[in-house]
Amino acid sequence: MIVGGALLLGVTLAVLGGCLLLVLAVVAVRARRRSRQQRDQMLLSPLRGPLITVASGEDDDGSATEQLTWATGVTRTVLDRNIVELLTKIRGGPADQLVRVLEVHGAVEAATGDLRHRSSVRRARAAQLLGLARADHTVPQLVEALRDESVEVRNSAAYALGLIGDPSAAGPVLAAIGMPDRGLPAATAAEALQSMGVGISEVLREGMRDDNARTRVVAAHLSGERSFTRGLPELRHLLDHDADLTVRETAATAIGRLGRDEDAVVLARHTATDEPLSLRRACVQALGELGDGAAVPVLAALLDDPDPRLAELSASALLALGPVGRDALSGHEDEPAVRTARLVASLQKASA
Amino acid sequence: MSAPAGEPEASSVRVLVADDDADIRDLVEFKLTQAGYAVEAVPDGISAWEAFAANPPQLAVLDVMMPGLSGIDVLRKIRESDNPSVPVLLLSAKSRDSDVDTGFAVGADDYVIKPFSPRELLHRVNGMLARAR
Amino acid sequence: MSWQGFVEGLRSFVVWVMDVTSVPIIVYFVLINSSLLLLIGLAYLEFRTQQRRRATAITWQGAGMAPGVSLLVPAYNEEAGIVTAVKSFLTLRYPRHEVVVIDDGSTDETFARLEEAFDLIQVPRELPREIPIRAKVLGVFVPRDGRANLVVVRKENSGKTEALNLGINAASEPLVAMLDGDSILEPDGLLHVTRPFADDPTRMVATGGAIRPVNGSRVVSGRIVRVEMPQTWLPRIQLVEYLRAFLLGRTGWSRLGGLILISGAFGLFRRDVVVEVGGLEPGTIGEDFELVMRIHKRMRDQGRDYRVEFVPEPVSWTEVPVTAKVLRNQRRRWHRGLWEVLWAYRGMLFRPKYGRIGWLALPYYWLFELIAPLLELFGILIVPLALLLGVVNVPFAILFLLLAYGYAVMVTLSAMVVDEWAFHKHDRWRAIWQTIAASVLENIGYRQATVWWRLEGWWASIRGRKHVWGVMTRTGFDEDTA
Repeated sequence: MIVGGALLLGVTLAVLGGCLLLVLAVVAVRARRRSRQQRDQMLLSPLRGPLITVASGEDDDGSATEQLTWATGVTRTVLDRNIVELLTKIRGGPADQLVRVLEVHGAVEAATGDLRHRSSVRRARAAQLLGLARADHTVPQLVEALRDESVEVRNSAAYALGLIGDPSAAGPVLAAIGMPDRGLPAATAAEALQSMGVGISEVLREGMRDDNARTRVVAAHLSGERSFTRGLPELRHLLDHDADLTVRETAATAIGRLGRDEDAVVLARHTATDEPLSLRRACVQALGELGDGAAVPVLAALLDDPDPRLAELSASALLALGPVGRDALSGHEDEPAVRTARLVASLQKASA
Repeated sequence: MSAPAGEPEASSVRVLVADDDADIRDLVEFKLTQAGYAVEAVPDGISAWEAFAANPPQLAVLDVMMPGLSGIDVLRKIRESDNPSVPVLLLSAKSRDSDVDTGFAVGADDYVIKPFSPRELLHRVNGMLARAR
Repeated sequence: MSWQGFVEGLRSFVVWVMDVTSVPIIVYFVLINSSLLLLIGLAYLEFRTQQRRRATAITWQGAGMAPGVSLLVPAYNEEAGIVTAVKSFLTLRYPRHEVVVIDDGSTDETFARLEEAFDLIQVPRELPREIPIRAKVLGVFVPRDGRANLVVVRKENSGKTEALNLGINAASEPLVAMLDGDSILEPDGLLHVTRPFADDPTRMVATGGAIRPVNGSRVVSGRIVRVEMPQTWLPRIQLVEYLRAFLLGRTGWSRLGGLILISGAFGLFRRDVVVEVGGLEPGTIGEDFELVMRIHKRMRDQGRDYRVEFVPEPVSWTEVPVTAKVLRNQRRRWHRGLWEVLWAYRGMLFRPKYGRIGWLALPYYWLFELIAPLLELFGILIVPLALLLGVVNVPFAILFLLLAYGYAVMVTLSAMVVDEWAFHKHDRWRAIWQTIAASVLENIGYRQATVWWRLEGWWASIRGRKHVWGVMTRTGFDEDTA
């Protein structure tokens, strides 16, 4: 009993001590954040004027830029962080000037080394800085960082490569999505690829043949967004044969955006009743977007589909096709789907 | 109101700037002040609306995403106010077409996407004021 | 029998009870405390993750990868707030979203207010019947200007669950979120909670986001203008509960791949998956919990590669009960929902097919969520009794209580550290002291009351099962709309 009591006392004291420590931790976290903010503000305040002058493009004689380059020590670190932040907000001449300040400070060079830093936060921030400074000579290192063990670093590397916009990085970015256990998040990859110019259409075609479904979704989605018609054969193949429903729907939407007249038949095929409802709907919408007369009989046949949304989407698609489509609606005027589609279309027209 | 476009005369033309981001607020204020405008800069949507209601400016530059009232909310209030025709420029990180659509649908006169060029912003402000006259 | 004899008898009974239960109780105590330690460990990991995320955050546009969202808003007699709510939902920061209001046969001016505010016009639209609906649909309405992404569906009154199911049928975007008319969404909330879908478009089926109590904060036209602490202790203590539940519980489970409870969180689901599993189950209380369980079961039964993820960022704010009466109803309903769902899915326990759900998550919820109040009640009864009868000495009992409740406070405080680091929504020092005080006060009275209420709910359900099947469930639902 005595031993038990002593043990109990010990554990209880440890727990209460733990509570006290945690209270101190809460206070310390807040106090540290506040004092950091204050310190940063104090250090930065003499340079705030020149910084704003440069950032707003009013530093005609270069004196403000020069003043910024003189900063040393902690002030320089804080200033550089502020400059990096500003680079996400402005572009054009002032942005170039700010990048020059970073270069003089050696921040760009330091970031290149930091890509191998032990801390993942340092690696991620380094990647971001290189991107914002448009340091295109670091593309190989950034490509390597796409395979970093930390998702923050992978995201930041893709972000940087997108900012630099070098199409040679498109292949690695797309490939990084499917890396087992350390894949690059699809949306980050898509955003990076989106700003890489027209040179990436071949890479996207390749990506649509990838083993990983996420890679195929990104490649198909971007082919549609950027209207890369060269990817049409692959998109058609995905729509026809892919095992993943999300991939097929993405492909259907993309075909609707950039397809040729003959694609009406491809899309129409997948409006058949044995296909999943969500895919049928995506195909009907795509047919409307495609705007080819060949779709008319298919869409007209869907006007009395058991699914009311599919019927309404078909009616809307027909209305969008112009006189040919509108003719096909005759005989169906009383269907709720047709009446609804007409009404909604007229409301939208009236407010446009 | 005699200033020619592009060369507005000192403090006669008042511009309201609302952005919760201190960097952007300061630099837009600086840029427009250098160009000769009298700028009132506020950090959130509610202050923006209060400043507008107290003393309507000749033009307003509003950030779309602000705590409290968004730029869109303030714009809506301006359009329903006694001074509905004050030109408004929305400044936003939202770059999708639909966002721009919403902005114009609510009654924005212009829309600048971040990251933006301060020089371009000034040209747009000058242009809007010239057209408003 | 003399008084002396009675006390003696009672004493030997208590000693016997304590003897018999001491081993299981100690085992349970060790288990629950180790699980709490585990939670504190998870909090530390969470702390590190949040630190990294914050330090390296990137503004995100999404390149059109963010799927469209349908916000489903069931409304029953909400004339006071519905227009403001819908306006704030329509202006959320998100590339593509629509608001679907389902007027569940309101008897007040709910529909008239909407009709006037948005200039609604009826369309002869028939709604898909992917999820079967019993109630009659009275009409579908859209704004005359043809631009605002709003659909209002009127139906006969048949309860919130069916209203939501009808909303799912009417929804035209790939993701659906279920809201209350009084929820307040963070302007960026949808961007956070859809992010996992954009990042993993082929596998993500559901995500949840954290909820915070809004009591005391300043709200203007459906937006939080200034975050403040609630005025009274009851909601303050609930704030502490929410912090703990979301920052430790959910994120921890999400990390372990065993997230089963999105209930009480802001839930976002793939519409096609919700339809595939048949929508919300009418007549259930923990309807969203039940839905998540059904999705898990379906996915695992079919051997699909899928993900359910939790986003720690606060996404939505809600008014929590300020009176004991309303709180009691809520807790009774929650516990009853927990029991009914756990019971319904008992077949998933310890089956290899269900992996971490069957081996880890479900047993945890049985042991530490469902049964916990029963054991706690046992402690609440036996400790004073034993003290009174001199079976244990006073210092020992006090130490024991200090330890048990000290542990609880410690867990709460670790959640606070994470919150202070990552989100620090409350920027006044006073808020910190009040939160710390609430985490201590929680153990004096509040905890014991909720133990009792939870048991009441559980009991009501077990009893209701025998006698008035179905009817009781309806009452539970009515509490919700009341």
